[in-house]
Amino acid sequence: MATHVRPSVAGRLAALDALTEDPGREAAILAALEDETPAVRQRAIRMATRFIEPEVLGELVADQANATRRNAAIVALERQGPYAVRHLQTMLGRPELDVVMFALQVLARIGDPTAVPSVLPLVRHPDLNIAQSAVEALGQLRNVEAVPALLELLHGELWLQLAAIDALGEIGDPRAVGPLVALVPDSVVADPAVRALQRIAAPESLDLLLARLPQVRERPLRDLLLLTIGVVIDLHPDPVPVALQYSAELELDPSGAVLDDLREILGAEPPDGDPEQVDQQDPDAIKDATSLLRAATALAVTAGLRSLFPLVLTRIATDEGAAWGEGVFRRCSKAVTPALRELLQHTDPRVRRGALLVGVFEAEDLPRVLRHLEEADELVRAAACRAMGLIGEAAVVPLLVKRLREGEAAEQATAVSALSHFSVESMQELASCLGPEVHEPVLLGALEVLGKQGIGRFEARITDLTRHPSHAVRRAAIRAAAKLPVEQAEVLLLRALADRHKPIQVDALQLLIELGGSTTVPTLVALLGRSDSLRYHVIRALGHMRATDAVQRLESLYQDCGPHEQAEILLALIRINGPGVAGFLRHRLSEPETELRRIAAHGIAGLADRAQLPLLLSLASDGDWNVRNEAARGLGLLGLTECRDPLLTLVRDMEPVVAKTARTALDQLRMTASTPA
Amino acid sequence: MNSVETADWKLVTDLIQDRFGLAFDGVRREILESRLRPRLRELRQGSLREYYLYLRFHPEREAELNRLASLITNNETYFFRETNHFEVLVKHVLPPLRPSLRERPFKILCAGCSSGEEAYSMVITFQNAGLEMAGITWEIDAHDVSPERIARGRQAVYDPNSLRVCDPETRQRYFTHSEGRYRLKERHQKGVRFFETNLVAPNGTLGWALFDAVLCRNMLIYFGDAAFDSVIGLFGRSLRPGGYLLLGHSESLLNRDTPFIPVSVEGGVVYRKGPAAS
Repeated sequence: MATHVRPSVAGRLAALDALTEDPGREAAILAALEDETPAVRQRAIRMATRFIEPEVLGELVADQANATRRNAAIVALERQGPYAVRHLQTMLGRPELDVVMFALQVLARIGDPTAVPSVLPLVRHPDLNIAQSAVEALGQLRNVEAVPALLELLHGELWLQLAAIDALGEIGDPRAVGPLVALVPDSVVADPAVRALQRIAAPESLDLLLARLPQVRERPLRDLLLLTIGVVIDLHPDPVPVALQYSAELELDPSGAVLDDLREILGAEPPDGDPEQVDQQDPDAIKDATSLLRAATALAVTAGLRSLFPLVLTRIATDEGAAWGEGVFRRCSKAVTPALRELLQHTDPRVRRGALLVGVFEAEDLPRVLRHLEEADELVRAAACRAMGLIGEAAVVPLLVKRLREGEAAEQATAVSALSHFSVESMQELASCLGPEVHEPVLLGALEVLGKQGIGRFEARITDLTRHPSHAVRRAAIRAAAKLPVEQAEVLLLRALADRHKPIQVDALQLLIELGGSTTVPTLVALLGRSDSLRYHVIRALGHMRATDAVQRLESLYQDCGPHEQAEILLALIRINGPGVAGFLRHRLSEPETELRRIAAHGIAGLADRAQLPLLLSLASDGDWNVRNEAARGLGLLGLTECRDPLLTLVRDMEPVVAKTARTALDQLRMTASTPA
Repeated sequence: MNSVETADWKLVTDLIQDRFGLAFDGVRREILESRLRPRLRELRQGSLREYYLYLRFHPEREAELNRLASLITNNETYFFRETNHFEVLVKHVLPPLRPSLRERPFKILCAGCSSGEEAYSMVITFQNAGLEMAGITWEIDAHDVSPERIARGRQAVYDPNSLRVCDPETRQRYFTHSEGRYRLKERHQKGVRFFETNLVAPNGTLGWALFDAVLCRNMLIYFGDAAFDSVIGLFGRSLRPGGYLLLGHSESLLNRDTPFIPVSVEGGVVYRKGPAAS
């Protein structure tokens, strides 16, 4: 008797790929949806997404006897996205409760807002599981129409209450703030309510949350509330007046619990830099600790909790990962500056350094700041240099130049960035850092200042330095040269294109693009005649400069190049977007090299030109996924009603990336249609 | 991530999967992104698509692909990591082979060897087990996709991090210390050969039915299905009948069609090639 040998996995996959449009295809796909090998099932799901109608897949969802196929059908329906929405809505009326539940879940994951009206009535469904799924779906659909119905559920059955809280957090409507805060701290749902408030992060919640903080007795809930307050402060347009109202209450709270917590959080050791230690720590725990630290800092500074300032400043001065703390202080500069002035006298140098780093000081504070240039600690001196730069009094320029010339590395670096704040006129002192006798780090520092400021009086020296034997100096010098008047800058940069150090050539090109001088484009076009490694960069540069004058030369060069330059020419022509680009790209669609076809399709899609619609429609059935993806993008950009049907086909594309692009395009189309003319 | 970025991402990750067999999804996608971002800046590539085209067409693409291999593969390793597998080699794999090992070396394939810490740890284990005294020699063929790491392995000079589980006495016994780095003493480098190999597209250096054991730990977890199957097939061909495949603790051949059968040894599972399998 002949035995039937089952094809191998590779054979089963190949058989699926070979299926053609005949009556047997659907049955073969449906059978493969229950294959025991995940790879075969996955391929079948892709094909079901493309070729099986939602009505057929819906029946598989209702088939309780075959869980494997049901799960596969659910995935396929979800991937069909908007194409399946109408049928999924009809499934909400079926008698089988689990079918309704699955339909709700799939609709939620598809995220099509047109589903909301059919989901909304189900929050009152007599079956609690269905009602809960409907509430969860409304949360995922994020539609504000659902808010009133969800608020009504806040005092109902516990499971629905929890789901409603979560959904309100997802939707993020500020109407939920009051009812959610009312659940804190003394209800069983206080914790999820605070999490929802964190997601909503409405400015109007700050006052209410701060009022609740001292009332919370349990540390985990207090930490969560603190995190939420931190998020709300971050997103609040003007949190200081609100937070300052709670300053005294928090500082004078007899229990001292909030201040103790804040002290503990602010004083905790930062994560160890030792890789082994970091490896052993839970990344989520590190993230949580950092978020808590940020929240504690935000509250301490915004509410003006002065007793905590030394701790915060120490942290900022010593923890490289806490640089964000400077932004928190700057945001509240008016309120905190008096305290920071006092803290410049603190006995701990870390606190003094922190105060110098975060303070927004005025000219009147200059003597206070200058005093710190004499400190023993190099980092405090560097922080003082920085503060001097921010104050911006020209009288300190000689002092900063001296630090650049004679200071330690940290002072030199800070002096360079501080000097960039001063006017060109006050910079004559910088000459002492540009002489032939100065050490290279000082020379590089001075050139960096010139690269930011552009000071014509040093033109001769800058020109000299563009020929310096050290490539580091030449590189810094051409950056400085770029800030000279355009005519001089252009000459020096064009000359740097022939530098023997390749990074300098590439820098020079980039600077020429930024300069946009009158002779740059003709010179670069002339350079296209050289077939060296720089030509690739020249092509890119012409594209970035949107050099219309280069189009003809780039097009004629195309046939004489290798594929890496051909790709760059296409990208450059797309950027330039000259009048004949569509025709040139269209011809490239018949290139044998797939990547060039893909770039051409990318360019055509980006034109958003109605005249390209027939071409995009033909690209929508191209054999290459990337070309189909560009077609989907292009159809979305056109935003025409006649694009809807081809997009509904592409939304079921076997390649998930294409399906996703088509779904985004359909969303755009829907938004365009719903926007009043 | 918009639709263009999503497509560009797929182009790059498909290329990586084809070339190196590595799959990047879920949280690993973030890891890849964080590793690629600085490289794109360095090369002045404005997007992943531009970088992809660089990898496909640029005259310096081969050098860049080698660099990419170092960027995207995990080099997390150190001396004497998970030593139980070395015990398995000495106590279970080697004893039945002793008669034949009078005529030939004990052959081990160390796949995904990074900069050699694992291969050299095996040498030290074999020396401490007295194999040299018993007249047994060995050859450890150490393969990695990254030329940079292979070069480091050949140099045998390590940072303290590679010796993180070595106590001071171990450090002193096996290494010479100079300017904060540790050089493995020459006698502990015995029998190790390094090869720059992409196991997903092997160049034939692995050989046919050559090895007594293959160590491939914590590498397959990063592979996509096709690359996983291909590499396991390669190991199957490279092992002698009855040879052993030792995988990392989080790796398994469960539910896969392979020439290996699981064997419980020393409280763990290793895989053994059937005598008749090819």
